[in-house]
Amino acid sequence: MITPRALLQKSAPLLACIGLLCAWQVASLLLNTESFPTALEAIRAVPSILGDKESLVNIGASIRRMAIGLSLAVVFAIPLGLLMGRIKGVASFFNPLLMVIYPVPKAALMPIIMLWLGVGDVSKTLVIFLGVSLPIIYHSFQGGKAVEEKMLWSGAAMGLSSAQRMFRIVLPAALPEILTGCRTGLVLALITMVTSEMIARQSGAGNILFNALDMAQYDTVFAMIMIIGALGIFLDAAFEKLRGSLVRWSKPQHDIPLSFS
Amino acid sequence: MKVVTLRSDALAESEPLSGKPASAMIHIDRVSQRFQTSGRQSHLALSDISLTIDDGAFVSILGPSGCGKSTLLYIVGGFVSPSDGVARVKGKAITGPGPDRGPVFQEFALFPWKNVLGNVMYGLRQQGVKHSEAEAKSRKLLEMVGLKGYENFYPKELSGGMKQRVAIARTLAYNPAVLLMDEPFGALDAHTRTRLQNDLLNIWERDRKTVLFVTHSVEEAVFLSDKVVVMTRSPGRIKVVVDIDLPRPRKRAELLLDARYQKYVVDIEKLIDDTGEDEIHA
Repeated sequence: MITPRALLQKSAPLLACIGLLCAWQVASLLLNTESFPTALEAIRAVPSILGDKESLVNIGASIRRMAIGLSLAVVFAIPLGLLMGRIKGVASFFNPLLMVIYPVPKAALMPIIMLWLGVGDVSKTLVIFLGVSLPIIYHSFQGGKAVEEKMLWSGAAMGLSSAQRMFRIVLPAALPEILTGCRTGLVLALITMVTSEMIARQSGAGNILFNALDMAQYDTVFAMIMIIGALGIFLDAAFEKLRGSLVRWSKPQHDIPLSFS
Repeated sequence: MKVVTLRSDALAESEPLSGKPASAMIHIDRVSQRFQTSGRQSHLALSDISLTIDDGAFVSILGPSGCGKSTLLYIVGGFVSPSDGVARVKGKAITGPGPDRGPVFQEFALFPWKNVLGNVMYGLRQQGVKHSEAEAKSRKLLEMVGLKGYENFYPKELSGGMKQRVAIARTLAYNPAVLLMDEPFGALDAHTRTRLQNDLLNIWERDRKTVLFVTHSVEEAVFLSDKVVVMTRSPGRIKVVVDIDLPRPRKRAELLLDARYQKYVVDIEKLIDDTGEDEIHA
């Protein structure tokens, strides 16, 4: 038996979406400008994008680049962050470097990277990799640093070598924090994916969006924004499911349940 | 009634414990520990500590906070290396942690991603014990510390007292020759503390491991120990080593009424008060 309160809580995200669409519809009818289609017009344009084979190939290419960039970042950033967290020398070497790179919008590097590597997949994947790496490094660093010394001592007394302690104590102990970084990274990957395609206009979801903008197909523009948003929500919810199952043992984190899971 | 033997010489010669031939398990030889503080200054945490602990003895280190008693335990554990002097276990100089010395910390330091059974099995699996064998042994140990039925719980789901029981079982599992207990009951409420003291004594009576037990509770030290090492603060030195000559097995209810127990507690408290006065006059 579901109580009305629980039902309300469960359906809150859905209600928020419907509310947003209604507000959009009303605002667009009131403003009545060509560049701001109504919500219904935008929704009607969604099937024509998703039904078009070329669009699907484009979106698929975007997702592929995002997945590769994110995976590379995870493989590179987690070990680096953990090493920084545990070894002072590594932290003092990389910290200033990262501090310099952190505030630079990674998409701003895109034109230079395009000069070197062209407008193809390599450039875009590299920008996604750069954008995603920093939060994952940072959270892995914090997580690694926070591992209780006594936990490592307990492991050392059992006979774990320092490499074993890194893999079998530091990594699992820091996992909740690492995954928080990965979640931020996932959202950033999506953002950098679109911006990279906005600059290197060759293929992808961002390309569909900006081509439509050039041709004043505003319903397609807004439909594409909705598709990217929905993709973000889906990926985030899927990731939260994964994260929940990986760190069930950890203390519940009181973050905003920004997901539909 | 036996008089409290107070020795100013910390290098107490090992005396045989009743009925058991004594051999030195731990030998701490002129150990000093200096820490770099902010700036160029250094702080002498331990000064010229020498102490011999017999095989099978229960020895407590008692002192005010900041006297370096935990540091001394960490040196024996091999977690910290001394600035000066050498600590030996079974005659071999200590160069790092090892499974012959099992620590139990006030902070429990359980592995939160492992359930209770997984925590207790961890050391055994690391020693190469087969899974089924490690599991059987761990289940038995958990029963011994009163946690049967909690095998699948995660540390976050346990109370402080239960966590410390798991930590004790986890350390006992890989069968260290020495138990190093760093204020293990310091974070627990009075009732839980008493129960764990009783249970620890019962466990200890069975296999008589060497125990080095750091505490700031005089009653706890007298109740549990064969010897109580009283330390002074800044720099940490051994003030006296008190032999606790009370019969075993000890029963709390009887002991609390025992005049000898009471005198030990009062005498040691007085010693610690003197330690405080030393600071004021220093």
